[in-house]
Amino acid sequence: MKTFEEKWTAWLDGELTGKELEEFEASLPDRAAAEAEKRAAHKLGVLLKQELGTEVLNNEEFFSHQIRERLARDACAQDRHRTRSTWWTVPRLALSGAVSLALFLVCAVFVMHDKNPAEQSQYLTQILNARVDAAVSPNATISIFETKEDKVTVLWVEGLQSLPADYAAK
Amino acid sequence: MQTEATLAQADVSELELVKRCQAGRTDAFDELVVRYRTRVFAMIYNMVHNEQDAWDLAQESFVKAWKSIKRFRRHSSFYTWIYRIVMNVTIDWLRKKQVKGTGAEFDDSIQLKEVDPASRTLPKADPLPHERMQRGEIREKIDNAIKQLSPEHRAVILMKEIEGMQYHEIAETLGCSIGTVMSRLFYARKRLQNLLRDVYENI
Repeated sequence: MKTFEEKWTAWLDGELTGKELEEFEASLPDRAAAEAEKRAAHKLGVLLKQELGTEVLNNEEFFSHQIRERLARDACAQDRHRTRSTWWTVPRLALSGAVSLALFLVCAVFVMHDKNPAEQSQYLTQILNARVDAAVSPNATISIFETKEDKVTVLWVEGLQSLPADYAAK
Repeated sequence: MQTEATLAQADVSELELVKRCQAGRTDAFDELVVRYRTRVFAMIYNMVHNEQDAWDLAQESFVKAWKSIKRFRRHSSFYTWIYRIVMNVTIDWLRKKQVKGTGAEFDDSIQLKEVDPASRTLPKADPLPHERMQRGEIREKIDNAIKQLSPEHRAVILMKEIEGMQYHEIAETLGCSIGTVMSRLFYARKRLQNLLRDVYENI
């Protein structure tokens, strides 16, 4: 459904035809005033065409020359950017490799360290063994259970006839 | 100065030139610039009313066209496509200028200072003094009237009345519906009729 503005514009430009044209013209309250308006619009069109349609571009060749220069400059800049990008790729790759290696080593040390929790326990066991006299307690066994999350260590001792006197104090 | 290659392209179709541009040939684009530079410049000049700005915006439009020509799918004519770029560039520029609120658009003294010196190396054929004065007054009235329209209304009336474009071509260029084009034409004409009645009634 066309609005009045659309129909009016189409009517001015001679784009309304057939039934649409008849209906529109019949709907106009003052046909003479509308025709006068149409003539005025045509005069306006002629005036605009006459006054604005003659604008010329001076120095056409200079205009084209400037565009050619700009395109050439842009192409050079793109080439330079591409070359620089390639040159920078090598150090960037080396840097990425070094960072990756360092990260791998840190992770590896951390995991290996984590995978050998007995190191601390072994150390404790060695101390305990040193303090247990094999001649006095030949069947003594010492076990250590550790729950890291809870920070709890259980020392399980069997066959020990007596604790070394200085152990509890330390 | 036209090169031999350019002269040889005189009969080359627009479609063929576009294809060559898409293959990266700047000489083909140069030929398209030759074909459209005057119309593009005139259209922008009538929108912005400043020779230097029109020159810069026309250059900007062509450079943008070159950069995006590979994306041109040839569903419409090159003419409609380049006008779309021209209108986007010009309307954006006018909006930014309005937002900045410099008022430069209404300052004639600035226009004279901003004219590119190179653009005056080939002077136009001068009319007689009284004719020039009369034409100058009429032109000033028209320019002032057009300045009172929004960028979109300016675009529509100029494309219709100066370029003689069809509603659907204008709609495609501006990326709006045909109904919007017709509606904008209605209001633009009404406004200009009110502002320029004394001018066109006395011609």
